[in-house]
Amino acid sequence: MSLYVYCLGDGLSGAAFEGLAGVCGSRVRVLALGSVAAVVSEPGDEAVAADEENLLAHNRVNAAALAVATPLPCRFGTRAAPERLERYVSDKGAALSSALARVRGRVEMSVKLMWKSEGRKTEVESEEGGALRAAAGGADLGAAGAGTAFLLKKRREILGEEGARRRAEEAAAWLASGLGGLAREEAVRSSPSEAIIVRAAHLVERAHVTEYRARLRALAAERADLRLLTSGPWPPYNFSDIG
Amino acid sequence: MEPSPLDSPAPAEPEVETEHPAEFVAELRRVADRLPERVNIDAQSVEQGLAKLVLTLIELIRRLLEKQAVRRMEGGGLSPEQVEELGLALMKLEEKMAELKEHFGLQDEELNIDLGPIGKLI
Repeated sequence: MSLYVYCLGDGLSGAAFEGLAGVCGSRVRVLALGSVAAVVSEPGDEAVAADEENLLAHNRVNAAALAVATPLPCRFGTRAAPERLERYVSDKGAALSSALARVRGRVEMSVKLMWKSEGRKTEVESEEGGALRAAAGGADLGAAGAGTAFLLKKRREILGEEGARRRAEEAAAWLASGLGGLAREEAVRSSPSEAIIVRAAHLVERAHVTEYRARLRALAAERADLRLLTSGPWPPYNFSDIG
Repeated sequence: MEPSPLDSPAPAEPEVETEHPAEFVAELRRVADRLPERVNIDAQSVEQGLAKLVLTLIELIRRLLEKQAVRRMEGGGLSPEQVEELGLALMKLEEKMAELKEHFGLQDEELNIDLGPIGKLI
């Protein structure tokens, strides 16, 4: 028998999950493993499909845990035999205690940043003229053949990518600086070539969530060139270093 | 491990806040549509998976070569003839890659490996 594991935590009891359907409609229960409990269900031995319904069910169970105490959520699809799960908790006891202490009393908040317009991506093209003449010992490369034109096009692309990366990093730094100490920890991913250029997850004290949201509203008003999307509170998916 | 008194009940349900919902919804929907379906292990998909991996590595090296060529061009150490020759060689390499991608039915965005927290390979 293989268990589907939603999260590990302390302070969790079955009452928090009563009547809650897990992945594939399975019944959710709490498995006591010493000082730590695992929230699990038994959806059968078939692989759990990564579809919308199951993804929502996985988060629903973790959100129910978050309503009681901040858990360490597992990655979607985590499965383990009961004895293996027990051994894992026993072997990793100290690390789990430390990981739980890290998230205790905190929740994850998420911020996504997009540029307001596509215009910023193309600003690099305007500086090309002078720079090209400097290349190849001052020769006028613009008048050359297909191979040279190809390299010039690549140069434009590379400069555009570098500029986009620099601007995404600046936006991420602006966000971190604006939040100050409200984010106890952050996990940031920059994707300069995509529409959403920064995806930041912040670990925030529960008591500071309202202040965090207000600060982001103020930050959003500062930057006309950026669009912000804030969401949360979420279980600390980005701060839970377990399977 | 006793439950901590600091672990007070969670705030309300997750809330989403933005002044630009349409743009974010459209973008997140587009990203969700790109999520891979479940992997089917059969001869065809294994062959394509291997081709994807190999072509991803070739693509990475090809892009590094392009960057190096552009740096050399910018450095001014190449004659116009050398620049032209280098450009033509890299152009042919790009054309050959396009042929291989078409042969294996791969799109540009598929030749990039998501390395999780550290971002994408290319």
